[in-house]
Amino acid sequence: MNKVRIITYGIILGSVILSGFSRSEKQTIAATEEGTLTLVANGEDFVRQGFVSKDGWRIDFDRLYVNFSAATAYSTESSFEPQKGDTKESIEYQHRIEFFDGATTADLAAGEANAEPIVVAQADVPTGFYNALTWKISTAEGDSPIAGNTIALLGQATKDGQTINFDLGFNQPAEYICGEFVGESRQGIVTADTSGQVEATFHFDHIFGDADTPPEDALNQDALGFQPLAELASNGTLQLDDAELASQLSEQEYQQLTEAVSGLGHVGEGHCIVSTAE
Amino acid sequence: MNKLYFILSLLVLTTVPKQVLAHGANIEYRETSAINIQAKYDDGTPMANAQVVIYAPSDRTTPWLKGTTDQSGNFTFVPDTNAENIGNWDVKVRQSGHGDITSIPVSKEAENAAITQLSSDGSDYTSAQKAVMAAAGVWGFIGTALFFSRSKSSKLD
Repeated sequence: MNKVRIITYGIILGSVILSGFSRSEKQTIAATEEGTLTLVANGEDFVRQGFVSKDGWRIDFDRLYVNFSAATAYSTESSFEPQKGDTKESIEYQHRIEFFDGATTADLAAGEANAEPIVVAQADVPTGFYNALTWKISTAEGDSPIAGNTIALLGQATKDGQTINFDLGFNQPAEYICGEFVGESRQGIVTADTSGQVEATFHFDHIFGDADTPPEDALNQDALGFQPLAELASNGTLQLDDAELASQLSEQEYQQLTEAVSGLGHVGEGHCIVSTAE
Repeated sequence: MNKLYFILSLLVLTTVPKQVLAHGANIEYRETSAINIQAKYDDGTPMANAQVVIYAPSDRTTPWLKGTTDQSGNFTFVPDTNAENIGNWDVKVRQSGHGDITSIPVSKEAENAAITQLSSDGSDYTSAQKAVMAAAGVWGFIGTALFFSRSKSSKLD
């Protein structure tokens, strides 16, 4: 009887200790280190410092609103290359981070001429390399300063002593599917000690062209420039929404403008695939 | 002794001295597995003299190599195939505000590397192996308990 009791105690003790080991091992595996990942929006120096369009208009922005939604970062083992056929559905990710619910409007012209890119959202994320980013530009609603629009440009254009105060609203929803940020430094790496950053970059020289780039360059060939818009101004003011732009510009000019607006989104110097279907 | 001198003399006579020339040139070579990339713009124009930055799998933050493409947009490098660098090598090419990044898998010894990784976290044990290990552990406790029980009984005897 004594032996039976000893054997029973032995089994119970052994089971308890072994299950304890097993549980602690699982806890170790589940405990993943975390860091901070920041989503920034960058209009680059074109927006912060102004620039001269391909047709000689000096353009300065007071405010430049973009309405973001569905911003999502992914960490993948191999680089995500949408331009080579990778799709959002085919992303084999280790971590997927949705930055916020709903939509948020950011002003890319906020701050001084040398201001850092605008912080759109931050999230605590598992450590890793976040090398894919998707986001939508959606029609703003409610309290947004650009309700009814996806993007709004407010500022001044100046040429030969003439100044035009412009307030242009676009309503062209689009989704941008992008790989890794391409630039001087590598972005998107989150460790327990260092935060990471993913960037939605907007190239506004695609709309107006750039006087510092040769006229024959594809950038200037595809850009609308500012002159066709300047011709729509009255008494030094240009205040038009998307529908008015569509009706007052020529069909070719509006098509050029539409394509330029949809091609604004990049990740640094890296290009994105754009889907304009809602 | 004479035999020893004879052998030494023979060695000296048969050894050919290496020639050293003051202004000689020398080319050495070894066979390696190089990776050649070609960078082009969307319209097919080569990205000539573009900046190239290469990241090894072991350190995805610090460039492993920097260089420049040639006139045809070509760049060649030989990846380090140590176990820690088996995996995806990321190659970034930039020029005039345009750029791209691609991953090139280097798979030599990849299988061994994967096995090592799996072993390190213990996740390659099958359920049967785990059951046997658990049973052995339990039996160890029972045996220990029986041992102390027996010595206690013999003391009482």
